Amino acid sequence: MSELFGPLDPGGCVPSHQQTRVAAFLVSAHGALARRFALALPLRMESAWQTELNAQFYNESEIVSLLLRATSWTPDPALGYLAVAWETAWFPAPAQGIPDHSLALAVDLATLAHAVHASIRPAALLPLEANANDPFVMALRRVEFESGRLLQAQILFLKGDNLRPFRDAVSAALERRHAEVRELWREVLQSVDVSTCDGNDGKR
Amino acid sequence: MPFLAHGSYRIRYELDGPSGAPAYVLVNGLTQYAELWAAYRDALVARGFRVATFDLLGQGESDKPALFISQDDQVAALHLLIQELGDGPVFLSGISFGGLIALRYAIAHGDRLAGLVPMSCFAELPPQLFLLGNALRTGLILGGTSYLQDLLLPMNVSDQWLAPVLDKLDSVKRQGWLVNDVYALQNLMESFLDFEPLTEQLGSIGVPTMILNGEFDFLTPRALHEMLRIQIPNSSLVIIPRGYHAFTLEKPALTADLLAGFADDVLAGRWQGNKAVWIAPEDAGGDLTPFPAGYDHLRAIPVRGASA
Repeated sequence: MSELFGPLDPGGCVPSHQQTRVAAFLVSAHGALARRFALALPLRMESAWQTELNAQFYNESEIVSLLLRATSWTPDPALGYLAVAWETAWFPAPAQGIPDHSLALAVDLATLAHAVHASIRPAALLPLEANANDPFVMALRRVEFESGRLLQAQILFLKGDNLRPFRDAVSAALERRHAEVRELWREVLQSVDVSTCDGNDGKR
Repeated sequence: MPFLAHGSYRIRYELDGPSGAPAYVLVNGLTQYAELWAAYRDALVARGFRVATFDLLGQGESDKPALFISQDDQVAALHLLIQELGDGPVFLSGISFGGLIALRYAIAHGDRLAGLVPMSCFAELPPQLFLLGNALRTGLILGGTSYLQDLLLPMNVSDQWLAPVLDKLDSVKRQGWLVNDVYALQNLMESFLDFEPLTEQLGSIGVPTMILNGEFDFLTPRALHEMLRIQIPNSSLVIIPRGYHAFTLEKPALTADLLAGFADDVLAGRWQGNKAVWIAPEDAGGDLTPFPAGYDHLRAIPVRGASA
């Protein structure tokens, strides 16, 4: 088992079966975020912060669109049951310890988005020799880079004054989501012979 | 690979050298990781020291708290590591962010230390450093870890170090980019949002202290180290010739030699801080030279009238 994608083909491309499994997972995760941001987005905005929901929705949609087009897809029978497990994990789960239900749901969405944007680093798995002109390679780099930017909205919200009274509940919900997303990501990678070892793996 | 437990978080550490020997504990800078001290492990172990290195919370292979990392937690993690070292003499050194954590530790647990070596360090955030810190954080947010590295590299090392690697910077940056996550680095940087100056507490540091400052360090310039020299009673300031902010990366042999020499002097009872100002030799093995009497060590040109 390698710590990076590969072995690369002679053109420096990631093998199709790895592309397929990884892209399917990322499409599932970012697609779920896009759906949830779309549902949270009002037809007519009343507050300035809601503009960020619009940005998050379209950026998540862009990531999904990009992966759908940049991936070299190959048939993968396991995707059926894997997708069910992934989609189940993205279900809303209002954060415990926050009495206001709508706020608890917003925290849940933000923690899920934080976990997906912060703990999934697909570009870090590309070998140095990966072909920089390959669309999948470029897509993974773009997904990781954009995730770092999208993450800022979640950081601002979760660290914001509105949630200061619920700091412990927020931290607990966030750590739980991180562990859950990291575990799914680790399973996906192991299923295509890529091992991961990040500092937080031991907390499973 | 051993880990310490701080609450629900794990701290990755490494101990090298004989267990009964005096110990050096080395604390990473912001974007660093424990492996960057490899040359120090070798050099200090060869000089008879035990060496403890670790990844701070949020760094490398230690756990990365998702939302908040307080500097108090870093001090607590460091305390756990020092407790692992037994009762023998412990020398503590840290660079930049790690130097600040070392200062905090010395203020809180100075009685556990035999000596302290803050490097490229600061106890306050004056306007230039505050604005630079903000700009670096914005760089991280907008451009990711790689862009932060791009901003830091020219501040950290010299042209002589950069020139031969200029066409392979991606490989130079790769390990740092791999082990550091944007959110974790951001949490480390945002631990300064409620930063309170340590200046008033520096006087409580009673242990022998050697302050190291690169001659050309423009991220944390001389005046910030001067504050430490003035406030810490048993201290001296050593200027590293041609050194930039990360002289520990560029001059490991010289710096390790200075660390070992300082500890040897303290253990032999020879150390006298006297708030003196020294110039380090160009290479390991040379002698410290007193800063020329009558000249101001805070200036970049030879101006008479040293500020005492």
